[in-house]
Amino acid sequence: MGLIMLGVGDLGASNKPGDIIKTMALGSCIAVIMLDPTTRTVGMVHVALPDSSVNTSKALEKPGYFADTGIPALISAMTVHGKHNGNNRDFIAKLVGGARILDSNNTFNIGKRNALAIKKILWKRCIGIVSEDIGGTISRTVAVDARRGRVIVSSPGLKDWSI
Amino acid sequence: MLPLEKEILKEVHQISPLSLIASELLSMISKPSHSLNQIVKLVECDASLTANVLRVANSAIFSPTVPITSILRAVAQLGERIVLTIALDACAGTLLRKPLEGYESGVNKLWEHNLRTAIASKKVSEFSSEIIGIELAFTAGILHDIGKAILSDFLKNSASDILSKIDSNEIPDYLHAESEKLGIDHTTVGYQMAVAWGLPSPLPEVIKYHHSPSAADVEHRALTYAVHLGDIIAMMGGGGTGSDDLKYHLDEGFQEYIDLSASDLETVMLLVEEEFSEIKSSLFQAKEKSI
Repeated sequence: MGLIMLGVGDLGASNKPGDIIKTMALGSCIAVIMLDPTTRTVGMVHVALPDSSVNTSKALEKPGYFADTGIPALISAMTVHGKHNGNNRDFIAKLVGGARILDSNNTFNIGKRNALAIKKILWKRCIGIVSEDIGGTISRTVAVDARRGRVIVSSPGLKDWSI
Repeated sequence: MLPLEKEILKEVHQISPLSLIASELLSMISKPSHSLNQIVKLVECDASLTANVLRVANSAIFSPTVPITSILRAVAQLGERIVLTIALDACAGTLLRKPLEGYESGVNKLWEHNLRTAIASKKVSEFSSEIIGIELAFTAGILHDIGKAILSDFLKNSASDILSKIDSNEIPDYLHAESEKLGIDHTTVGYQMAVAWGLPSPLPEVIKYHHSPSAADVEHRALTYAVHLGDIIAMMGGGGTGSDDLKYHLDEGFQEYIDLSASDLETVMLLVEEEFSEIKSSLFQAKEKSI
């Protein structure tokens, strides 16, 4: 069993039973968790910002940092772990994170902008979101296990929950 | 005054003083007219700080082509804010790196949050309508949450109760929760610590008002807003201090002092993450090398 820890903008995928992919303290960032039922592969990308136009060189260095470059990169990483039918419409997704400060105005609601950008990209690729735990004012840590695709969310001072 | 408040203030007055070198550096950086040479002369007076500064300047992250042996080159390479960070870590690291059990948070989280806030405050200050010294913004940011180091011990096992009260709107935010429970919040404790340490103005004031910058003296209000936003940016980037993450209010009055668009904010968040990783690696690698 291995623990794959992701920092901001990192992504990882595995279909090895027992592997856990985890990322900590999401804040306004969103963890996009993808599951491929055909190959039983799970993947995760820690998206910090909605659009790579803010810094294209960063997008080349770390595509996972942005929603528009991170999701295609995650799909590529997942396909490495097993031959699927070439149609990622079979994939399903779960979203965690996208929090905000209390009384946030539009400028500071990056979490909401991240969520909108991610949903638009997934929708265009016909990838359904089966569950989500986004928004609010809590910073979440999330882990997914490769065998069952079970997603556990935690936050300081709260009991863990699954989505 | 609640009995706990008395006990907390007693603890504030028992904290170890800052080292002379750290105090002098803080005083110097708080004055807009200081020069690099003055910083160099000060660092040279302290053998331990000189060694640490040289070690960090020669660490892998900076990877100089020729080893840096002069303190002038080292300070010029690192910048005064990293020198200050090294000096503060040496004298107050034990206090500022300890786990914040009252906020359900681990070792180094307060130190990392303060560092992220310092970098973010400095970046935000560049968008101010008034001139703010960026080194001063960094310094105020790195000290803004020192009060939590003491308050944390009095908040043990309270996080779950506080969070449910905030969720049900019984209490507006974490600051009020601290006051309700202990009679004092981390901004006031931080202010008292800053006074006990003899920190120069406006540092104590910024610490006191960083969650309510509109109440700060008009002379320091722009700087206080920069630290207020820097703190929020650090929390949004996942660099908070635990159970109180994001449980504070945004003071929208910032728009009068800081002209920050949504796209500017995204750029700032990216730069903060990069600079934080760089500084953290340089300090960490240097420490590892010294062991």
